[in-house]
Amino acid sequence: VAAEAVSGRAAIVHDLALENYGFGGDHPFNPLRVRLALELCETLGLLEDHPFVSSEPATDEDLTTVHSLTYVRIVQKAGRSLSSLADLLDYGLGTPDNPVFPDMHEACARVVGGVIEACRLVMDGDATHAMCISGGLHHALRSRASGFCVYNDAGVAISRLKEEHPGIRIAYVDTDAHHGDGVQWMFYSDPDVLTVSMHESGRYLFPGTGGVDERGRDGGVGYSVNVPLEPYTYDGSWISCFEALVPEALRAFAPDVILSQNGCDGHRLDPLTHLSATTRFYEHVPNRMHDLAHELCEGRWVATGGGGYDIWRVVPRAWTALWTAVSHQELPEKVSEDWLSKWGDKSPVKLPRLMRDDPEDYPPGPRAAEIAGRNERTVEEVLEKVLPMIR
Amino acid sequence: MLLVKDSMTREIVTLSPDETAGTALALCRERRIRHLPVLKEGRLVGIVSDRDLRSSTPALGDQGRAAALQEILVEDVMARDVLTTLPDDPIEHAANVMREERIGCLPVVESGELVGIVTSSDVMAALVYLIGAHEPGSRMEIALPDRPGSLAGAAGVFGMCGINIVSAAMGPTREPSEEGGIKERVVVFRVDTINTSEVIGYLEEAGYSVLWPPKP
Repeated sequence: VAAEAVSGRAAIVHDLALENYGFGGDHPFNPLRVRLALELCETLGLLEDHPFVSSEPATDEDLTTVHSLTYVRIVQKAGRSLSSLADLLDYGLGTPDNPVFPDMHEACARVVGGVIEACRLVMDGDATHAMCISGGLHHALRSRASGFCVYNDAGVAISRLKEEHPGIRIAYVDTDAHHGDGVQWMFYSDPDVLTVSMHESGRYLFPGTGGVDERGRDGGVGYSVNVPLEPYTYDGSWISCFEALVPEALRAFAPDVILSQNGCDGHRLDPLTHLSATTRFYEHVPNRMHDLAHELCEGRWVATGGGGYDIWRVVPRAWTALWTAVSHQELPEKVSEDWLSKWGDKSPVKLPRLMRDDPEDYPPGPRAAEIAGRNERTVEEVLEKVLPMIR
Repeated sequence: MLLVKDSMTREIVTLSPDETAGTALALCRERRIRHLPVLKEGRLVGIVSDRDLRSSTPALGDQGRAAALQEILVEDVMARDVLTTLPDDPIEHAANVMREERIGCLPVVESGELVGIVTSSDVMAALVYLIGAHEPGSRMEIALPDRPGSLAGAAGVFGMCGINIVSAAMGPTREPSEEGGIKERVVVFRVDTINTSEVIGYLEEAGYSVLWPPKP
């Protein structure tokens, strides 16, 4: 209780219905990723004092704060098999990335609703920090599904916060391996929403955007902060870039609430990207977001998931580390035996037994110093060209 | 597509030869432009750039500056041999003229009438749009044998995987990567997918070498 008085109460927003969002078959975005993460938390006893908070699906009014009504209708029809493929393709649906699945509107509206609820808990003071691990669908655009994302949960939640709390300043920090393009474009001219995205450079990775020069438009110049990282960036370099930039950006901005997107696809084992982080990075970032939230906005912090496609070895451990930071619990040393015995046979890869990667297994590559040097120069450029614009 | 008329600016700020250098510089500043065509009775007779104006007037802080800005006329400063382009010229033609002549813009003239202006920034914008760099996508470079059907073959692999091609740009021939091999062309694709691993596998299986994204 004493610790809570200092650090505040934590809430986890979840519901089995949120696990309906995902794509079947061999698709990399498999809903099992959320199940594996939460069962690891549960079997480690990390959910004992934290019953799941349930949430309502986002309404059409919620969704149309950032999406076009036409698009919402298309998604609704698609989930009931009422659309032809030709119509869907114009909206980024029916592709290998974003295949149509039954009731996809309901599933995705649930995810958005979960993140809206997490924000509400934090703003109403029911919780100091809240996590909704199904959120983080940062690529969804106004009228287009993109990169496994149908509706943009952070975009909708931020718009709702702005409506309900006029004048509020919201900081969005995205450490997914991919650029947080959808959220960035939705608030590109808005000086009340700071978006910070650290990601693998668009030269090498989808969606191709997120250069330093993308720093906002009109009144929003300076409020889109991008740090494109070199492929094969490892923990040490990523952490020092994060430390050189994120605290300073957030302090300059002085947010009322922080929303973090905690995709974990920058891990060395991730099949979709070329970054080389380990669990060290995924333990560091949430702890720092937590501290910055206390330093700057009375602890108000909402954390979501995001990408992460090594669903067996990386996602469960990275998001358990996230939850321990949100809920002020110690990260256990070992993966639970119950989890291992339940999932060991089903996993196509050998499951790790320790919660933290052994650095010995991830030696820096031959170009590590060169990569770190380039990243440092990128951060210097951001510090010079973008941060001074934040008022 | 990719014609001068697709990229040119149609709202042109012009001067007449008897206006002052002061007026011309003020226009450059207010409209944030660097090149002003000069018209006399509707016909293009010259062009001035902000650089021409600055280098032919006293520097900022010079006591004689204010008077000189009123005295020096556009016709004293303007270039009279103006290179122009046609609205239906391909943009690469305009780009090449600007590059070879080391100039930053070309007035666009049709039937003796000034209809637009195309600048180096317009050419850059055309490049960005050509490559599709404003749309989400993954950038890939593939080396193709310089033989009929190679491009279709590689593009077909994306089609087979259901991946839409946002843009494709093919370069000149280059020496074969293997001794005694066939000359190659490199094509840059921008494709609408977050997940390139499967299609890279199929491309390599089909014998194409994927140069980008680079391997460690």
